[in-house]
Amino acid sequence: MTSQTIALFRYLMLGIVSRRLFSLLAILLLAAILCGSFLQELAIINGAAIVSAFVADLLRYCMVLLALLMVASAVAEDYESRQFERLLTMPLARWQYIAAQFLVIASLCLLLVLPVFLLMSIYSGVAIGCYWALALWLELMLISLLGLLAILSLEKVPLAVFFSLAIYLLAKLSGLISLMLAESVRLSDGSAASRAMELIFGAILYLVPDTGSFAQNNVFFHAVDLFATLADQFFSVAVYLLFLLAVCLVDFYRKEFNF
Amino acid sequence: MRRTERPMASLPRPLLLAFMLLLLAQIVYHHADGERIENRYRGLSSPYSADIYRGLALGSEQLFGYLLAIRLQLHDNQVGKHFRYSLIDYDLLADWLDRITEISQGTEYPMLLASRVYSSTGDPEQLRKMLEFIERRFDDDPQLHWRRLAEASVMAKHKLGDMEIALRMARKLARQPASLNMPNWARDFEFLLLAELNELESAITMIQALLQTEAVNDPDERRFLQGKLSDFQQKLFESQQIPDK
Repeated sequence: MTSQTIALFRYLMLGIVSRRLFSLLAILLLAAILCGSFLQELAIINGAAIVSAFVADLLRYCMVLLALLMVASAVAEDYESRQFERLLTMPLARWQYIAAQFLVIASLCLLLVLPVFLLMSIYSGVAIGCYWALALWLELMLISLLGLLAILSLEKVPLAVFFSLAIYLLAKLSGLISLMLAESVRLSDGSAASRAMELIFGAILYLVPDTGSFAQNNVFFHAVDLFATLADQFFSVAVYLLFLLAVCLVDFYRKEFNF
Repeated sequence: MRRTERPMASLPRPLLLAFMLLLLAQIVYHHADGERIENRYRGLSSPYSADIYRGLALGSEQLFGYLLAIRLQLHDNQVGKHFRYSLIDYDLLADWLDRITEISQGTEYPMLLASRVYSSTGDPEQLRKMLEFIERRFDDDPQLHWRRLAEASVMAKHKLGDMEIALRMARKLARQPASLNMPNWARDFEFLLLAELNELESAITMIQALLQTEAVNDPDERRFLQGKLSDFQQKLFESQQIPDK
């Protein structure tokens, strides 16, 4: 069982890793360095911290988009080339495909995070570099698995990417949306519709990752306990990853494939 | 051999006339263009509340605050031209600086913009607004902002010529607890200003109080204070002698 899953993982990984991926990574890193240098010219004080934080955040969003696109395109290709039908004729359980995809996501995220670790270690020292790389790895895992769920359900790359980005932004902007809804309740003198919206959004927030699931950019400016921050994020991401895996399995087992 | 020049009067009249007209056209055009560019200056908008910016920061509040500060710093550069600070609405500017301070707490950037960048305005009212901002925000973190308040006190004295504000700021610095890590010269501002205001008795009392406390341990600083004390006592004595003559 394990060897089959590993074999499937290696096969899927070969489809993702290419020279184009490394070229794209190199271009992204170079662009981030150039943008950082420009910002350094503008900053009057704290230039080093501002540039580190900016480059880290820029790379974070680039890597999130890249990971999402790669996972979604790889699974979409499996749909298009009727790969699932072929795989299911083999003595493979459906969960093994999900397990192999999980390993692919973990390895891909590691691959994306390694150059970020090197760059951030140069900018801010090894401790911050390590924290940022691990925190970003967890964040990328979470978003990529969300992307996997989206592509398994929606089967189209644009839909899956937009859906995953929408959830990502919803989680990141949850504070602002809650503020807007609270303000709307206040301005409407507590109207039933506004209250209902606030309740619905509150319920939706239970299903999206909380802000603690993401890498904390403020570490570039304040001395914080990096290990404790990372541990908090790890538990938050672990719970959400298990939940996403369960949803992926439910969705994948429910799918009908025409042989 | 040096080439000689023909006198201007010998030039053809139409050429001289054309030259004068074109020079005038250039001056008029430049003047009008300057006014046109100045009219294209887009003023600052009112900032939103800090909570909205925190929400928009996507979890990177500190970075977002710094980026807003850099954006504000570049505000006077528009349409490829640097605009005069007098065009900026300093009330709105102070609002923006307040907002940035609230978004990225523990930052020195807005205070630095106020004391080093926007204080270079030639308008005393605008300068006063920046000094008020520095004085107001100093209490957020005296350890971080004492340099800015010291600079503001100097600016109030020398640039604004308002000894009252300068003394108030210097007094604020002098009254900080000894636990605040700040050089003694910053605490000495108050009595130096008092001496300049000819309030020698107050300055002497202050120095004596400082020398009696444990706050001043540095021998050089004690020597400086004792020197100033003798100096002020001498001046006071001389000023009291003058009416008797």
